[in-house]
Amino acid sequence: MFSTILEQIINGIVTGSVYAIVAVGMTMIFGVLRAINFAHGEYYMLGTFGAWFAIDYLGLSYEASIVVGVLSTIVIAYVVGKFVMQRMVGAPAESGVLATLGIALVLQNTVILVFGGGYKFFSGGYIEPVSILGFSLAEQRVIILIVCLIVFIGLELMVTYTRMGKSMRAVSQNVECCEVVGIDVPQVVLRTFILGAALAALSGVLTAPVNVSVYGGMGELITFKTLPIIIMGGLGNVRGTFFAAMILGIAESLVATYVGLQFRDTVGFATLILMLMWRPHGLFSTQARF
Amino acid sequence: MTKTLTRRAFCISTAILSFTALMTGVSQHALAADETIRLGLVSPMSGPNARYGAFSLHGAELAVKEINDAGGIDGRKIEIFSADSQGTPVEGVSATRRLIDQDKVNYIIGDVSSSVTLAMQPVAEDAGVLLLNAASSNPKITYGAGVGGYKWTFRNYPTDENRALIVAKYAAEQRGFTKFAVLSVDSDYGRSAITFTKKYLPDFKGEIVSEDYYKEGEVDFRSVLAKIRDNGAQAIIMYGLADTTPIIARQMLELGLAGKVTLIGNGEFNTEKTIKSAPKVLEGAVEAAAWLPAFDSPESKAFVEKFMAAYNEAPNNHAYVHWDTVHLLAQAIKEAGSPDQGKVRDALSKIKYKSAVGEVTFDDHNQARLPMILLQIEDGKPSIKGAYAADIQYPAN
Repeated sequence: MFSTILEQIINGIVTGSVYAIVAVGMTMIFGVLRAINFAHGEYYMLGTFGAWFAIDYLGLSYEASIVVGVLSTIVIAYVVGKFVMQRMVGAPAESGVLATLGIALVLQNTVILVFGGGYKFFSGGYIEPVSILGFSLAEQRVIILIVCLIVFIGLELMVTYTRMGKSMRAVSQNVECCEVVGIDVPQVVLRTFILGAALAALSGVLTAPVNVSVYGGMGELITFKTLPIIIMGGLGNVRGTFFAAMILGIAESLVATYVGLQFRDTVGFATLILMLMWRPHGLFSTQARF
Repeated sequence: MTKTLTRRAFCISTAILSFTALMTGVSQHALAADETIRLGLVSPMSGPNARYGAFSLHGAELAVKEINDAGGIDGRKIEIFSADSQGTPVEGVSATRRLIDQDKVNYIIGDVSSSVTLAMQPVAEDAGVLLLNAASSNPKITYGAGVGGYKWTFRNYPTDENRALIVAKYAAEQRGFTKFAVLSVDSDYGRSAITFTKKYLPDFKGEIVSEDYYKEGEVDFRSVLAKIRDNGAQAIIMYGLADTTPIIARQMLELGLAGKVTLIGNGEFNTEKTIKSAPKVLEGAVEAAAWLPAFDSPESKAFVEKFMAAYNEAPNNHAYVHWDTVHLLAQAIKEAGSPDQGKVRDALSKIKYKSAVGEVTFDDHNQARLPMILLQIEDGKPSIKGAYAADIQYPAN
């Protein structure tokens, strides 16, 4: 009994780390732009497709495909960032919603147009099980956990100590003041956006071996899972996002086991509603950010 | 800045809109000019079931090409209008309306998904358009058809009730399973297959130890599989989606269920791609399908060859049933002697059509009498265990 619960918690942590890497990018983009990026899941999809393409068409190894997937997403994110996201500095919130929803549709349907709407089989990665503490996990999941920890430690350090991190925090606090003291706001926005998209792509490539199937619409689900996480974590809060993702992952895992798999997706949306009702500023900050 | 952008965007979108309007106008005009048999195909061309849609369209297109190359039906060529249902009832209904109102089709084949077909039935009925279903298996579709109500719906596909009975019987009698876990897709198809399984399992002393349904697009089955590992189930009854099977198989491998728990039911366990995803898990899997590429009849073998030559890919069940249904419809139109829908419907209810799996006739619920083919994966290859037919027990009205 106890070991089952422990195993489900471990499952939840692994699921949570995937959510965390995707959501942290979305929350940082919200921080600097005040806009929810509804196309965020699409960068996750693009990364996966890039890697799938590298393996299936270019015959590269899985390791090399990670690089291809992330780099190709960075290129696309640069173009989108340059032509769309930078123009949204200071724009009203609804234009952000419309623009990112539009981008999501364009990216998704372009991929479907080029590669077809069907599922693709992702053949790379490390799927053999390993036993840890008596629980059996695919090697790939251990890699996901480790990468997630590295990413979050790295981001914490970046946000606290580097010039880019500091300017990101400054922009998220007050855009006008940043412009007055000479911070290049559009540049900060572009960099944050690319970083966020690259993290989403990385998460996609890392999960592809355990999720096996790759298809154009796969990003939607991820976008809707990350929404409750970034709201729970407090919009723009990196550390909060990490814990929120873990909480959601574990809660989903327990619900799937003890209530039923079909109720899994309700956890996120129920959380979203409850958070918006009682703590719209998230679990981890004391003040509303907007 | 914002202002100029909005204005520019407005100009560009107006230009695109007028161009699209012009294009559709032109193509519709051109199509209305010739005398063809207009056949609509509703199938999921995007979304989680898109692969089924692609196979359906390819199968139907191959049949149309064969018929047209042979001179058409009494000189009339068939033209296919494909519409995307995305696998959802809402999109399926609007796709059906579009085919009827804009493309002016007389016949519709569709959909793969039972939930979509059930939603399409009243639409086709209102318009008086012949709806031929080729791939949905929920029994409700023909409970409500023929003497059950809808006069314009026919189905050329075996039902879940047959499938559930055949699978349960084989698993219990030949494999000796008694404890089953359910992991099926949360749809009219997955749920009804389990309802019928529950109806027949007690006859074979089988019991269900856990019951879970997954949403289309679900990718994480670890929690449920861990539960199944601990509750002592010998087999997982899965009526699911082909594209989800590899995910479940890999996660079963991860949790050490390979060789301990067997997959039974239906979800394309037999394709090369699925077996390759986790060969150890799929060994021994039992599946019942309407048709399989390995089915041994000259017509079936010829179809596989033609399909491979045309699309450079092995056909699946959906490619076959759509190919077969187009041929069935062509024969009905030929026997009716005119493309008049009422006459074709009468011809269809009296038809004796020779398909690749046996002779097809329709009962008073417009349901084709068809066998189910049962297979088991042995040494990484599907091995056919026989074809079984069972009469459908309709509920009393």
